[in-house]
Amino acid sequence: MKLAPVPITLTQCAKTFRGTRVLEPLDLQIGAGETLVLLGPSGCGKTTTLRMIAGLETPDAGGRIAFGDEDVTALPIEKRQVGMVFQSYALFPNLTVRGNIGYGLKIKRVAADIARQRVDELLAMMRLTAHADKPIDQLSGGQRQRVALARALAMQPRVLLLDEPLTALDARLRDALRSEMNTLLRELGITTVYVTHDQAEAMELGDRIVVMSAGRIEQIGTPRDIYYRPANRAVAQFVGTINRLAGERRDGMLSTTGGAVPLPLRGTPGSAAAGETELFFRPEDAYLSDSASAHLRGTIESAAFLGERTRLTIGGAAPDALIVDVAGRVELARGTPVGISIAPDALIALS
Amino acid sequence: MLLAQISDLHIKRPGALAYRRVDTGAALARCVTALNALEPRPDVVIMTGDLVDQGDPEQYAHLKTLLAPLKIPYYLLVGNHDDRAALRDAFSDRPELRAGGDFVQYAADIGPLRLLALDSIVPGESGGDLCEGRLAWLAGQLEDAHGKPVIVALHHPPFDCGIGHMDEIRLEPQAAQKLATLIARYPNVERVICGHVHRPMFVRFGGTIASAVPAPAHQVALDLREDAPSAFMLEPPAFALHRYDAATGLVTHHAYVDRSEGPYPFYEPEGTLID
Repeated sequence: MKLAPVPITLTQCAKTFRGTRVLEPLDLQIGAGETLVLLGPSGCGKTTTLRMIAGLETPDAGGRIAFGDEDVTALPIEKRQVGMVFQSYALFPNLTVRGNIGYGLKIKRVAADIARQRVDELLAMMRLTAHADKPIDQLSGGQRQRVALARALAMQPRVLLLDEPLTALDARLRDALRSEMNTLLRELGITTVYVTHDQAEAMELGDRIVVMSAGRIEQIGTPRDIYYRPANRAVAQFVGTINRLAGERRDGMLSTTGGAVPLPLRGTPGSAAAGETELFFRPEDAYLSDSASAHLRGTIESAAFLGERTRLTIGGAAPDALIVDVAGRVELARGTPVGISIAPDALIALS
Repeated sequence: MLLAQISDLHIKRPGALAYRRVDTGAALARCVTALNALEPRPDVVIMTGDLVDQGDPEQYAHLKTLLAPLKIPYYLLVGNHDDRAALRDAFSDRPELRAGGDFVQYAADIGPLRLLALDSIVPGESGGDLCEGRLAWLAGQLEDAHGKPVIVALHHPPFDCGIGHMDEIRLEPQAAQKLATLIARYPNVERVICGHVHRPMFVRFGGTIASAVPAPAHQVALDLREDAPSAFMLEPPAFALHRYDAATGLVTHHAYVDRSEGPYPFYEPEGTLID
């Protein structure tokens, strides 16, 4: 199935509900065929942004939305050629799988043979052919989700909009479907906007991620940018776990409770001045090392065995307890003294 | 005899980053700590130019503050980012910086070795040159050394290194040719040491060895394409340790500023190699 992807441009799109500004004026460019993930906690404005792109909400005066060269700001959803999947799926319980997928085609009076061919194609793509004539209530959660996606694609949309489509599923199924969804979006090459509060979903699916909070964009970047070069503390703390090392700049080192770590060569403006400072690092970027040559020394406070890794909480190394991930087989009792070193390029300076 | 060579410090005023990114002040502070901690401690540290980033008095004042904790005598050379007058003003306690008249060049005895520090800069330009005057000074100094082992130091490498954008700003080939011819007459020249290229390099030159050292902060990207874009990498900070003894001559070790994990033993306590 081949769809013609279109770029999307949002210019100064703000949204006010009953006198409350829920979305600050926002500029966003989404490339043709790109998968853009809007990530953030509830109330951050991600769903409002998606609904504006869909045509379910209108931006405040002055805001403009374009699909390619076409200004769609005033177009209602049914004229925008968008496909949408909701968290609740919103399938028709009284129709079969085939009936649900072909519903839009029937309404639009698409010729029966063409409609049938397109539905067959989608059934095959979503591995639903064997379930084509079952009623919806006989399907599993994952199958229903695939029906919803097939229904959204049946009208050959220019843009695919997904609002937390995996949230209702249990964790195991969600992981499997996430990877399936990723493969599918790559194959379709359709411009996709995907809303989620789940950072693992955002990381796997997004070409780029827009991290939002309190109605603003905190950072736009590739998953790697967001994770390794977070723009600020809010982003760093929302995406993954991060450790804070507070201390004093001394002789090119950050000197803290349990030792000292080399300051990263890559500074941030202002960070080169002497005095109190703080650096951040991810739990997987530190490793246990011989106490004598380690950057920091501390004591195991707890060790959580998580299967493939063990998550250590280490006290005494820095003012805050540090979280360090080590191989699952490592066994360390509470109270064991350890040396911790941090990969030199893994320290992050944040404003 | 142990000589440390650090180069291309690019110090900015306190709080400023080089190229909007590199905390060169912190890098030098850490390098100074590493040099002080070396066992055995070097007898001298030679800094082969680009001491500061824009030849600015404020930057030299910061450099001086950063070098204050260094417990090892040191010698300074100028590079294309330096300013002779501002350097001399900031380091007014260092007569050797004024000994060369128009140029910051001088001779110094370091134990059995003689250091001949050359000024290869052309104010306002990135590339380097040696005029007849400076070459004549060197010729006189080489004669005066009377067979003593000599280290010739200058900021600009007198050779092509293959990194295109650095080769465009190397020491003028004509001056390099004259330098090679001159040095070839003195087999007591142990080494020609340089900076500028922010990378360790070695090449045969004028019958001896010419070498360059990495920097304590950013390194020039190792990109050997002729049209290599001018770029730097945040590779591990490093410097050179030159060890001299009369029987061997000068052996150069590549040393990292930051401590790595270890040392771990090769052998079991009872003497067998650990399997």
